[in-house]
Amino acid sequence: MAGDFEPKILGIFCNWCSYAGADMAGTSRMQYPPNVRIVRVLCSGRVDPQFVLKAFELGADGVLVAGCHPGDCHYVKGNYRAERRIALLKEMLKQLGIEPERLMLRWISASEGAELVKTTEEFVNMLKELGPSPLRKTS
Amino acid sequence: MPVKVMFAQLASCWGCHQSLLDLHETLIDVLPQLEIVFWHTVADYKLHDVEKLPDGSVDVGFTEGFCRNEEDLHLLKLTRQKCKLLVSYGTCSTYGSIPSLLNLYSIDEALSRKFKEAESVVDGRIPDKYVPKMLEYVKPNREYVKYDLFLPGCPPEPPLIAEAITSLLRGEMPKLKERTLCDECPRIKSEVIVLKKVKRDFEGIPEPEKCLLEQGYICMGPATREGCGAVCPSAGFPCKGCMGPGPNVMDQGAKMLSALASLVDYESVSPEELVKTVKDVIGTFSRFTLPSSIIPKSVFKKK
Repeated sequence: MAGDFEPKILGIFCNWCSYAGADMAGTSRMQYPPNVRIVRVLCSGRVDPQFVLKAFELGADGVLVAGCHPGDCHYVKGNYRAERRIALLKEMLKQLGIEPERLMLRWISASEGAELVKTTEEFVNMLKELGPSPLRKTS
Repeated sequence: MPVKVMFAQLASCWGCHQSLLDLHETLIDVLPQLEIVFWHTVADYKLHDVEKLPDGSVDVGFTEGFCRNEEDLHLLKLTRQKCKLLVSYGTCSTYGSIPSLLNLYSIDEALSRKFKEAESVVDGRIPDKYVPKMLEYVKPNREYVKYDLFLPGCPPEPPLIAEAITSLLRGEMPKLKERTLCDECPRIKSEVIVLKKVKRDFEGIPEPEKCLLEQGYICMGPATREGCGAVCPSAGFPCKGCMGPGPNVMDQGAKMLSALASLVDYESVSPEELVKTVKDVIGTFSRFTLPSSIIPKSVFKKK
């Protein structure tokens, strides 16, 4: 049923900005949808495309990769690499028949707890409209 | 006593067997030691010739190609049953290779394209009598049967085959090399690579000695297993990755995609430009390994 579909989202957040941003949202007691499971990596440039593909293969409805704003990367260039990888990955997903919108890249800084809340809400709503991932294993 | 061998051809182009013949003089040393019990690619053997062999009676079996229809699958299982040692010969058999890119389409789409919509076809119809049933999509052979040895390459290079066969004749198990292609590539590489521009293969003429990747060509070297002797890059053509991924890599395409994205200079190449240059992402990065990738086939839309 479309009405009670709750998307499962894997969040891969960078340690220095986005994960701290999620912390910020938590300590400020902001409410955001519980659909996203966050994994912390040291940099968005650490996000191996294999992680994303594996997540989809295991049935994730969406993957949210978040890193520092351009120019702010703790390791100088990591987020630029992530940006290019995600762009190519979206094309790959498209060819595999998975909607590229299911993969999202966002820049969220350590102080942007509110931005994180907004992003997850937007992403969850979009995925609810898209429906379950075609690779999702039906239970 | 000669060693009993059989060669089974599944869906493939015959190229791997041709490469076997490219051993030339080495064959003179090898052939007297072999007793070929089945090789329907070169002589008139029939399926019942394999079926009547006792189980496990053949010492070494080679399979070339992947399973596209039920007959291929039958022959593959039969080969496993009859052979003590099974060798996956070539990239089709090991990873799926180029024809398996058809996994991006459904079999109905493919059949109708081939038999009805092709430009040369008039009043086409899809053959349904006296032909084996097509399988829905290609899986790597190793998901059907257990293999003892993999010899990738499209086709495997003669020295690799010679080494494998001679060590099998000595009773030893040949070992695949474990590094990446760049390690055996003779081209000159610098410490740091920064790509100002990504080029398609046909753009410009590559410099004769400098690393092709450094020159901006998409060379699959960093994500490919060594063992072919870097024949393509030595001849001025970027590696396409036919030897398959190196050890401990799940998805060759994803790895190369990742490598290329981190090599480009972010000030000169925008993500949009990169996507535009690469064009066909799967055809470029997962050309030989789609069926053994993390997501091995396209998700067909149910109508």
